[in-house]
Amino acid sequence: MPELKQMLLVEPENILRRTAALTARSMGLAEVQEASSTAVARQILAQRPFHGALISVDAGDAFDLTLLDLVRQGHSASRPRIPLAVLASRCDDTLLAALRERGINRIVLKPFRARALLDAFAALSGS
Amino acid sequence: MIPAPTPSNEAERLAALYALLLLDTPAEERFDKIVAFAAEEFEVPIALISLLDTERQWFKAAIGLGETCETGRDISFCGHAIMHAEIMVVEDALHDPRFADNPLVTGPPNIRFYAGAPLILSNGYALGTLCIIDTRPRQLDPIALAILSTLRSLVVQELEASHA
Repeated sequence: MPELKQMLLVEPENILRRTAALTARSMGLAEVQEASSTAVARQILAQRPFHGALISVDAGDAFDLTLLDLVRQGHSASRPRIPLAVLASRCDDTLLAALRERGINRIVLKPFRARALLDAFAALSGS
Repeated sequence: MIPAPTPSNEAERLAALYALLLLDTPAEERFDKIVAFAAEEFEVPIALISLLDTERQWFKAAIGLGETCETGRDISFCGHAIMHAEIMVVEDALHDPRFADNPLVTGPPNIRFYAGAPLILSNGYALGTLCIIDTRPRQLDPIALAILSTLRSLVVQELEASHA
C-alpha cells in the first residue's frame, strides 16, 4: 500500500478540524497534521515537509495570507510549489486575485463541511 | 413494530453507563457542539446523543426535538443500534418492519431516515448512540459513514474523559 501523502490542515474550529483530519486518515486519503492557529502552523511548517496544505485564511474581517507566502517564498520545510488550498468565509475579487497570484489550487467557502475538506484533501493528494 | 432488544450484557452495560454520572445532568457545550456540527454536516433536522437507560433513552445533547429529553426505550431506534458495532442505517423507516408502525415514525417527529453510530467505550459496552434523523428517506455514502464514525469517536472520547 502506498504511503499516505502528508497534509497540513490549519483551521481554528476544533470539531471541523478534528473530524476532517481523522476521517481523512481513516479513509486512507491522507495523513493530516492539525494546526489550530497560524502560530502553531508556522512551527509545524518549519519542522517538517508536507505534500500539500489546506489553510484557513480568515482573520476577523480580513484575510491572513502569511502562511501561503511563507510556503511559496520557500521559508518552510516543504517545497515552495506544494499544492495549497484555502478555507475562506467569503471570496471577493481582491482575495481571488491574491490567491491566483500565489498559485492556490482550490478555495473552500463557508459553510464549511468536513466533506468539502475531504474533497480538498483528495484533490491536493492528486495534484 | 419490533421493540428494541436487550443486550446480553445489560447489567454490566448499565453499570458502565451509571458510572459516567451523566444521566439527567445539564447540557454541556462539548456534546452540544458535536450534535450541532452533525446536524449541519449532514443537513438533517435532528441529531442526538442518546444514552440508553433501563426503560428510556435520554438525550445528553439534542438538536431538533424541542423540549423532549427522553423517550421510551422500547420505541427507540437507538435501542436497536447498540446491538451491533457498526452504524445502523434505516433509509426509510416506513419500509422497515422493525419501525414502520413505531409511534416515532407514524407521529412526531415523523422519523423516516435514521443513522445511529453506537457509542462503544473502550471497555466494550455500548452506552447509546450518536444519531442523525430526517423526516424524509435518505441514503448515506461511504464518506458520510466515515464522517459519522469519526464524530462518534469524538463523543466517545468526551464520554471517557468524563470518567477519567
